[in-house]
Parts: sequence; structure tokens; C-alpha cells
Amino acid sequence: MAPASVAPVGIIAASTSGGVLVELGFVLIVLAVLGRLAARIGIPSIPLYLAAGLLMGNGSVIPLSQSSEFIRIGADLGVVLLLLMLGLEYTPSELRHGLTTGWASGLVDLVTGSLPGLVAGLALGWRFEAAVVLAGITYISSSGIIAKQLFDLERIANRETPSVLTILVIEDLVMVLYLPLLGVLLIGGSPAQAVVSVAIALGAVVVSLVVAARFSEAITRVIDTRSPELLLLSVFGITLFIGGLAEQVQVSAAVAAFLVGVMLSDRIAERGRELLVPVRDVFGGLFFVFFGLQVDPTTLPPMLLPAAVLAVSGALTKTATGWWAAKRAGIGPRGRLRAGLSLIPRGEFSIVIAGIGVAAAVEPDLAPLATSYVLILAIVGSLAMRFADELGARFLSRSSTTRPRTPV
Amino acid sequence: MEVFETPLPGVGSRYEFTTEAGDRLAIVARRDRRRELAIYDRDDVDACRATLELTGEESSVLVELLGGTKLTERLGDLRHDVEGLSIEWITLPASSPLAGRTIGDGRIRTATGASIVAILRGDTSIPGPGPEATLLAGDVLLVVGSLPSVTAAGELLSP
Repeated sequence: MAPASVAPVGIIAASTSGGVLVELGFVLIVLAVLGRLAARIGIPSIPLYLAAGLLMGNGSVIPLSQSSEFIRIGADLGVVLLLLMLGLEYTPSELRHGLTTGWASGLVDLVTGSLPGLVAGLALGWRFEAAVVLAGITYISSSGIIAKQLFDLERIANRETPSVLTILVIEDLVMVLYLPLLGVLLIGGSPAQAVVSVAIALGAVVVSLVVAARFSEAITRVIDTRSPELLLLSVFGITLFIGGLAEQVQVSAAVAAFLVGVMLSDRIAERGRELLVPVRDVFGGLFFVFFGLQVDPTTLPPMLLPAAVLAVSGALTKTATGWWAAKRAGIGPRGRLRAGLSLIPRGEFSIVIAGIGVAAAVEPDLAPLATSYVLILAIVGSLAMRFADELGARFLSRSSTTRPRTPV
Repeated sequence: MEVFETPLPGVGSRYEFTTEAGDRLAIVARRDRRRELAIYDRDDVDACRATLELTGEESSVLVELLGGTKLTERLGDLRHDVEGLSIEWITLPASSPLAGRTIGDGRIRTATGASIVAILRGDTSIPGPGPEATLLAGDVLLVVGSLPSVTAAGELLSP
């Protein structure tokens, strides 16, 4: 038996992939340790993953040499999976209901969330396209961090929570238009080309919505299978295939993956979500590391001041929006504060949008600014959510919290 | 008594009502089939004083213990009357080969001798389902028969 057990070891040691596996294993172990640390101190893991990337990049503490190519591909898969899941997150009826009940607060959220980014980008002397990327980064909340915190803090049944979730639904819908149009904007070209590209982008959105509405049963019948393995292979395979094709015609694979998610019907979406979560978490982790790897840590300090200013304005506008939305729903002051603070965290989707901008090389300062912004607001936002009731007890008068009310 | 339903996008639905004693409570029916039971605070009416997370199985047991289905009590009597009668609640997992198929397709009675006499699905129930009734993942099935036949049916439904 001895030779048989020796042989596989020899194969690994002899091939060049051994070094890659060691580095990749090291990266995943670092993520596992950081994830535990984050859970222990009660903050989201995304900022720590980004920081790990910063520390492992060029000229930094622990340079990765052989595995960077694999991490790059893993990061691509991570983005595709993050956006596929964003597309899968809400059922069509939830989207409809969200749009009819929440369009007003969603509109306020859109304007107050994206304007600071747009203005800051232009004030920094960036190109218009870069400012639009920054507007998306400051606008989009982290539904991952927010949902996890709402569960962990046992606030999912709270009466202000539907107001928060409805705003997240609208942000998801805004992404349906924003991401394809951003893709068009970043390709650039003459006005005539831009018109054609916008038409193609909007056409793709319309086609996917029509397909979702009309043919979802047919798609489901083709893809649906009782085997979890085959379902995972089908959904993941189709998403990568369409994403890759989209990339060939200069549309971001992330955008295509998002539209694929929107197209898949309830039945597949429900089981697909369960199956894809662990895969997304592994590759999503690699994506955050990879984004951090691309940022030279020495470029961060000059961006800290603009990031801090944007973070303060982002925190204030989201708090005001959530407060207003909850007030409209008949929620008391302490619930309004909880709703407002719950909208502060930014995370995965800000980084995804920044990643699209970085890939288009639209502005060298974009990556360090987005990194600092997300590092600040992911941590501050989740802490603000945790201490919402303490803040409420301190700053809101007690008399306003006790009053009889009827169920809504 | 009025029960209010509120959709929770991405999570599921929340049902709330006020008890006779004046406490307000809510059940969050999550998409992943877990249930959350919450009692609202009397002081801060929008927040919860206590919450409880229940798996699908735990919530079926809780419903049974609360006597939510009058069926359960009567079945208890039946168990006394007919010696050897076995009555089992079986939750159909998503992995079940019979999820999405009809009772007739499953040929459970032919194969085992046990019968599905009721289906509980969310907050609706289907008493005495026919062979054309479709079984869905998450359904709680009331299976009746002899002990070996009910055990065999359990293995078919939830292998």
C-alpha cells in the first residue's frame, strides 16, 4: 500500500500548483479567522476581508505571488454570484408590492443617497462617469449586512422593519436600470454609439423582465430538477455562460448575472438561493480580498478625508430617509431612529460598483476612496444599528415613546 | 379576532394580532420555513420584548401542543379506540422525491397501507386530500395506519 499512498503526494509536490494551493489555502484560512473575529466583536466581516486584501497586496506585508491569477478569477465568480443572488433576492410580487408602497421613500433615498457621491466626485475634479460610479457607491446600502444585523439583533418582527426592507427592495429595482446604464456610460464612445448602447441595455432589461413574466414557467420546467447538485450546476452554469457572453459584447458579466437572477422564477429562485449562499460566501470573500489587493495601501491616507466627509453625509441622509419612511408608516420615534440607523451600512454592492469602475480604469482615486468609505460605513453602520436603542434612550424624550396605538 | 399580514420583502411575511389580555404578538413566517414568534414591548410599541426562533418542526410541535388543530385532540381519542393505530405528522422536506407530485403518483397506500388523511400547508389545511392532491415541500402531512405502515410511509415521504 505504501507506494499508492506516496504517489498522490508526489504528484502535488512535483507540480507547480502546490504553491498556488498553499497560498490559496492561506488566504481562505485568513478569511475564516477574520470572519470569526468579526463575529466575536460584532462587526460585519466585509471590512476585515477588504483589510486582509490591503495587507496582502503588492509591496505589503504578505505578498501573494502564485495564486493572484486564481484569486482574480475567483473574484470574478464572486461578483457574478453576488449579483445573481441580488437578482434572486426578491420575488416578483415582493418587487411589485415594494414599488407600490415604497416608491416615495425609495425616491427620497435615491436622491439623498446618490447626490452626495455625484457632487463629491465632481468636486474632486473627477470625470462625469467616475462621479456617477461614486454616486452608486454612496447610494446602495448593504442588504447583506442589514439583513444579518436585523436577524442577529432580533428586530425582524419589529414594526419599523418593513419600512427598511421596502427601501432595500427599491434600491434593488434601481440597480436594474443603474447597472446596465453605468455599463454603457463606461464604454463611452460617440453620442450616436451611446444611444445605441443605451437602447441595447434597456432592451436587455425589458427582455429579461418580459422573459421573467411570460416564460418563467417554461424556464423552470427546463431547469428544475429534484437533485440539488444538478440545479446548482444548471443555475451557476447558465449564469456564467450568459455573463461571459455579455462580457464579450462589452457588457459587464455582473450586470448580466443580475438580470439572470431577475429572470429565474420563484421555484428555482427559492432553492437556488439556499444552494448558492455557501458558494457565494467563498467566492465573495475572494472578491473582497481581490479588491483590497488592487488598492495600494499608501494611496488610502489622502482619501480618508473625502471618505470621512462622504461617510458623515451618507450616514445622515440615510438616517433621515429611514426616519421619514418609518414616520410615514406610523412608527414611533425610537422605531424611526432604528429604521434610519439600519440603512447606514454600505458593503458588498458598493464594492461591486467600485469594482466595475476600477475595471474600466475610470479614476485612479476611486478604489482607495470606495475602500475607505465602505470600511467606515460597514463598521459604523452596524455599530449604529446595535446601539440604536441606547442612542434613542439618550436623545429622544421618553414621553414620546409611550402612547396607545392601533395596529397598522 | 383580526390578524394583520405585512409582507417582509426578502424574508417572508409577518402576521400580528392583539390578545384579549392586551399583549400584541407576531409570527414571522420566513421563506426558509423557519418561524419567529415575537411579543411586542408595551413601552416601545414598535420593538419586541421577546423573540423566539423556531424550526419548521418545532413550530408544528408548538401548534400541536397549543391545540391549534382540534383534529389533534380528536385523533388522541381515536388512538385509544383503535388499538395499534399509529398517527404521525410528517413534514415533507424539499429533498423528498414526492415534493411537487400528487398523492396518487406516490402510491403510498398501495405500497405501505398507510393513508395521508390531511395536509397542513402554511395556514391552510386540506382535510381528506384525494389522489390528485399535489404534495409540496414544507407540507405537514397527517399519516394514519398501523405502526409499520406509517413508518414505511415516513421513509418514502422523507427518506
